[in-house]
Amino acid sequence: MTTTDAGALAPAPTQRKRPIGLLLVAAPVLLVLWLIIWPIISAVIQTLWLPTSDGGRALSVSSYEFFANDPYSRANLAITLWTTGVCAIFLLLICLPIALYLRFSNSKIAAYVQGLAIFPMFVPSIILSFAFIRVLGPNGTVDLLLNSVGLPKIKSPYLTPWGPVIGLVWDNIPLTVLILLSGLGNVSNQAIEAARDVGAGRLMLFWHIILPRISNSILVAISFAVLGIFSAFTLPYVLGPAAPEMMGPFMQRTFRDLFDPTNAITQAVITFGFCILFGLFYVRSVAKNRTP
Amino acid sequence: MSASLKVAQPVDWTGIVFAVVLTLVIVAPLLVVGTWAFTNVWRFPSVIPQEFGLKFWYQTLARADVWSSITMSLTLATTVTVLSAIICLPAAYAFARLDFPGRDILFFSFLAGHAFPKFGLLVAIAGIFLQLNLIGTFWGVVLIQLVGTLLFMIWIPVAAFQAVDRRMEEAARDVGASPFRVFWSITLPQAGPTIAAALLLSFVGTFYETEGAWLIGAPQVRTLPVLMISFINNQPVIQYGAVLSVLLWVPSFIALLFARRVVNSGSFAKGFGG
Repeated sequence: MTTTDAGALAPAPTQRKRPIGLLLVAAPVLLVLWLIIWPIISAVIQTLWLPTSDGGRALSVSSYEFFANDPYSRANLAITLWTTGVCAIFLLLICLPIALYLRFSNSKIAAYVQGLAIFPMFVPSIILSFAFIRVLGPNGTVDLLLNSVGLPKIKSPYLTPWGPVIGLVWDNIPLTVLILLSGLGNVSNQAIEAARDVGAGRLMLFWHIILPRISNSILVAISFAVLGIFSAFTLPYVLGPAAPEMMGPFMQRTFRDLFDPTNAITQAVITFGFCILFGLFYVRSVAKNRTP
Repeated sequence: MSASLKVAQPVDWTGIVFAVVLTLVIVAPLLVVGTWAFTNVWRFPSVIPQEFGLKFWYQTLARADVWSSITMSLTLATTVTVLSAIICLPAAYAFARLDFPGRDILFFSFLAGHAFPKFGLLVAIAGIFLQLNLIGTFWGVVLIQLVGTLLFMIWIPVAAFQAVDRRMEEAARDVGASPFRVFWSITLPQAGPTIAAALLLSFVGTFYETEGAWLIGAPQVRTLPVLMISFINNQPVIQYGAVLSVLLWVPSFIALLFARRVVNSGSFAKGFGG
């Protein structure tokens, strides 16, 4: 789709297909083949082609059977699915109103709101975790303030499944808002005004004019968030409960603490399986926006 | 834009509500951490600290593990950024300027890693590293972080090279400048600022990369974020973590100063598929 563009850009007739380009791009491309493509293929092979008792290897799904029959693994998968779903819903409920407000307002306050919504991008998640514990943890700031006005302490979300949810939503607000805002750029002011002229209310306007035009951006934002949250490690590891744990900490513990790479890689392949549709959709959307 | 035509603007109540709520949930928690870092004594029922001071800055900065992890983080981020620049910038130039077999598919191959949940991919890579004895080594962490920088370090400079005015290059060639001279005097100064932004992004991204460093490097390779995790989990003195958080935020703050304009532009969100 882009060779014609490149042809049009090429200034001199000498710029025909020359293998020297291949040489220049070889190093990063080989790195992608070695450290992305090959590990994925190898992970699938390694978990299906297992060592047998007589020293050889044979095709077997026993590591997947173990995962499917192990109540602890299943509980971890369930908490991961729950966290991802809840985070996706909260992200939409929080970010869509912010993005709509930013699209249709141009007051000074809007610039401040936009700055704040993007700010978490510049706060590493490990600092966020620490701030979370200091504010919502036991004897944190919220407890201090409640105590000072004579109210009982909160039931802290720290080390409960809600801990990672709050952290991950906080962390994902900036990109979700930016992607939705970019989608809202496709909604023309004329379309809005035309609908207003024929008497459409705010809700009608949102449902019939805005939503159809940004549905693709919503899907992109959700896909991006799901890919990041499903195998998130730092926030669930620091803020979440010890058991059941999300897939990220679970894989890390299986790999490094239990020295069981086969089962860790099986868990990784299972996360690939759950995210593959989101991943392909996301990559397709990014590629569509970019031509080399 | 249309608002400026109106004589009196109505009070932006929606905006005020958003501004107040976002300030409370985004700025306030960070201010709490900042306060803790400059607190000598803050015992429970008191709403404000009993004693402010720099006591814990001296104590934190006297710790050997803090200095060794600062050195480790800076060494890692510098190594990864330099290596990434060495392999990616020539590739970006080739993608922007040369035509060669498989150009499109190779250009999009850098997206491959983004189709998979990141930590799952890291575990799969760790499986390969296990066979190569790279677990727990500096170069293992360098490799895994290098892979993470490829997409930015190729796609952003490609756009930079494509934005260079080709007519100026051709004019320089016409008056007899060598290809290298053209690249050095015409192409690089124009593409430079964007490439510098990509380098900064790569450095800061690597500095904060926690998951690969933890999975591949621990316990031998301890970066600042990894040390922070152990402070959160095992350190009863709150101020150590607070001081480390402030220190840890410095690169992000620098990135914030430089990158705000880039992030607010529409093309940034487009790069993420928006």
